[in-house]
Amino acid sequence: MIELSPTATEDEVAAATERWLHENLPPSWLKAVLDDDRTVVAAHLADADGMRRWFATLGDAGLATPTWPREYGGLDLSAEQAAAVADVLMRYRANRPMDDFIGLTLTGPTVLAHGTPEQKERYLRPIARGEERWCQLFSEPGAGSDLAALSTRAVRQEDGTWRVDGQKVWNSFAHIADRGLLMARTSPEKPKHHGISYFLVDMRTPGLEVRPLKQMTGDAEFNEVFLTDVVLPADALLGEVDGGWAVAITTLMQERNGLSGRPAVGPGVADDLARRAAAAGTWADPVLRDRLLAMLVEERVLQMTTVRASVASGRAMAGAEGSIRKLVSSGLEETAGSLAAEVEPVTALGWPQGAPLPAAAYEFLAMKQTSIAGGTSEIQRTIIAERLLGLPKDPDPEKDLPFSQRSRA
Amino acid sequence: MEFTWTPEQLDLRSSTRRLLETRAPLARTRELAEAGQRRDEAAWSAMTQQAGLLALGVPEEHGGAGGSRVEQSLVFEEAGRVLLGGPLLPTVLAIEALLAAGDDAALEEHLPGLVEGERTATLAVLGSTGRWRPSSPTTVAARSGDGAVLSGTEELVLDGADADLLLVLARAEGGPTLYAVPRDAEGVTVERLDVLDLTRPMARLHLAAVPARPLGLTGGGAGVVERVHRAAAVLVAAEQVGAMDTLVARTAEYARTRRAFGRPIGAFQAVKHRLADMAVQLEMSRSAAAWAAFQDPGSADEAFGAAVAASYCGEAFLQAAKDTIQLHGGVGFTWEHDAHLFLRRARAAATLTGPPSEHRAALVPLVLPDLVAPGHTEVPS
Ligand SMILES: Cc1cc2nc3c(=O)[nH]c(=O)nc-3n(C[C@H](O)[C@H](O)[C@H](O)COP(=O)(O)OP(=O)(O)OC[C@H]3O[C@@H](n4cnc5c(N)ncnc54)[C@H](O)[C@@H]3O)c2cc1C
Repeated sequence: MIELSPTATEDEVAAATERWLHENLPPSWLKAVLDDDRTVVAAHLADADGMRRWFATLGDAGLATPTWPREYGGLDLSAEQAAAVADVLMRYRANRPMDDFIGLTLTGPTVLAHGTPEQKERYLRPIARGEERWCQLFSEPGAGSDLAALSTRAVRQEDGTWRVDGQKVWNSFAHIADRGLLMARTSPEKPKHHGISYFLVDMRTPGLEVRPLKQMTGDAEFNEVFLTDVVLPADALLGEVDGGWAVAITTLMQERNGLSGRPAVGPGVADDLARRAAAAGTWADPVLRDRLLAMLVEERVLQMTTVRASVASGRAMAGAEGSIRKLVSSGLEETAGSLAAEVEPVTALGWPQGAPLPAAAYEFLAMKQTSIAGGTSEIQRTIIAERLLGLPKDPDPEKDLPFSQRSRA
Repeated sequence: MEFTWTPEQLDLRSSTRRLLETRAPLARTRELAEAGQRRDEAAWSAMTQQAGLLALGVPEEHGGAGGSRVEQSLVFEEAGRVLLGGPLLPTVLAIEALLAAGDDAALEEHLPGLVEGERTATLAVLGSTGRWRPSSPTTVAARSGDGAVLSGTEELVLDGADADLLLVLARAEGGPTLYAVPRDAEGVTVERLDVLDLTRPMARLHLAAVPARPLGLTGGGAGVVERVHRAAAVLVAAEQVGAMDTLVARTAEYARTRRAFGRPIGAFQAVKHRLADMAVQLEMSRSAAAWAAFQDPGSADEAFGAAVAASYCGEAFLQAAKDTIQLHGGVGFTWEHDAHLFLRRARAAATLTGPPSEHRAALVPLVLPDLVAPGHTEVPS
């Protein structure tokens, strides 16, 4: 574990991280980064065994999960200090990949907030060391925005274990995950929010079947998950029986915060797009240039807002603040995807057969992802209007009914 | 560090809010606007002589209270909340210009009266297009004995009919130079303008061979004006945030209480979501304006922060003003309702410091210097 004073400035944290990387990164990787030799870096990133070893080293130093408590593999750093770590790791391409987002950003804080000491002991360190990958088994064909309408059932057996039956959908990385965060209905006789429990499941449990779904980008990153007579041990329960909604709120808040980036102001996606436009010759178009710059402004202002939120640590902008940033960042992603196709217009038409999908075409096709995943933009606006502005809540005629009596159209 | 206000700064914010709420509330802004008056004399002296708001940002050796742009921007945010107009902004910008010009004699002569609120000042820098054009002033300075005489027309001068001191940027032999001209000097004629933003009187000034005193170095005027332009962008952004905050609070209140179809209109999602978007843009604007205020005046970071804030806050305020009218329905379109005062302010403010697209273009050399090369772009100066 690296030694850092809790009061270290961001520059000190960055310097310590960099020093540590120089001592610990495999020498050929370090050299390749310093020489900007992308082929060698790419070869390291593609070496699965090497990466496994690297993530363990990174995790043992506390640098994969710097905001977690030291006893569970973190460094007790603040959000800004952690951002300094993340910046340096990114520069050396030594950071954890997006596939680990759910474990690092959702599972960790949720288990820290609601787990028993045994659960923290069991689950956190393997996430910090990159040994276990997680997925989120929340959405169902009949329960997306209205997540509390989920109908996957978990029934407690006489021996204290749980039997689970149902279907989940749109679950990112479920096909490569070791474990999942599962919400299931335990008391259908109670109103919808009050009869749900939250479980930590082993994705290799018999009866659990993952079927990849092809996305509009052509990738198959999300999945359907079928649960048939799946038996979970008693200690798979996280939090109280029927108390799963409160646990899920922790996860969802993390998801909103996690999607809106690091608390630092600097070059972002818009800067890259502008440079790509210059390379493609489209930067000369004054209208496109102004739209790129407007995106750049909005991106920087979002970064400033993220910094402000981290300085106030929630005080000044509590509640709906994560929704504000998620809403803006999904808008930006959509803008970026739209602009990418204009910046590199040929990619909106065609490319050589068999060649990989051009970046701009991918960004264009993926642009709506964040405005749906993690709670749609409509849902975020409703949260902002109700929590921040005190406007009346949307009616839900089924809110107080026993779940088993709701209408099933 | 950005976004860490000291307890003294937070006290300044709340005492300024109390002062303006009692002495210069929005209702008073409206009365003054309708009467065509530039200020409430009692409120002005409370703000200046008692509260010392014009001393903020002025170094102590010049009779100021010290402090920085952060304090100034807190005051402007509060002023924006009640749409305070009149001599405040032009006088603060003129003080900024005097300090930037660094002419000791002029500082000694003018600063005490301005800081004390006994005299007011303004800056004539906008050309007939309403743009800040520090490199091509319209007024011309001719040599006359030891001094200079100014001739020309300044089309759009904030508070130009009433400010005591005019700072005029003029074309001189050594390049654009800033001159000080008493408004009542011989050869100055003043024509009041009708204005879109009723809270900010403007005038057209004709200068016919008016004797004037240069401020600072000959040819140094463009640099001074650029610095003031940035200050203006930062302070106007703070003002826009304050005004937007009033709009969001009032519109949310209206949505909670006005009823239609058996419900508060705020129960309809079309209303909720529009208000949510207003709140989002307010919070974003707040971040942008405060970020800019925390940067060192004259630094590249300030230039960046000012351009970002001017581009973002100007458009956000205009949108908030339009949405406020929409969400108030018919009453929002009346003269009696305050909404139009905000819409007028929003439009004028987004022009006053230069159009948002110009601020965006100004970002290119700051954040994408490699893209300024010929062939890549022609950045407007
Ligand atoms: C790329 C991607 C990755 C995802 N990853 C995961 C994952 O890992 N795990 C997981 O559990 N889920 C995941 N999801 C699912 C995601 O959370 C849901 O798709 C989302 O919450 C919307 O639910 P839905 O698809 O059922 O749409 P619906 O809820 O049916 O919504 C359809 C439309 O109706 C609107 N709508 C619904 N209710 C309201 C309302 N009250 N007011 C106004 N408008 C409303 C929505 O905004 C939307 O526009 C992922 C989705 C995507 C696209």
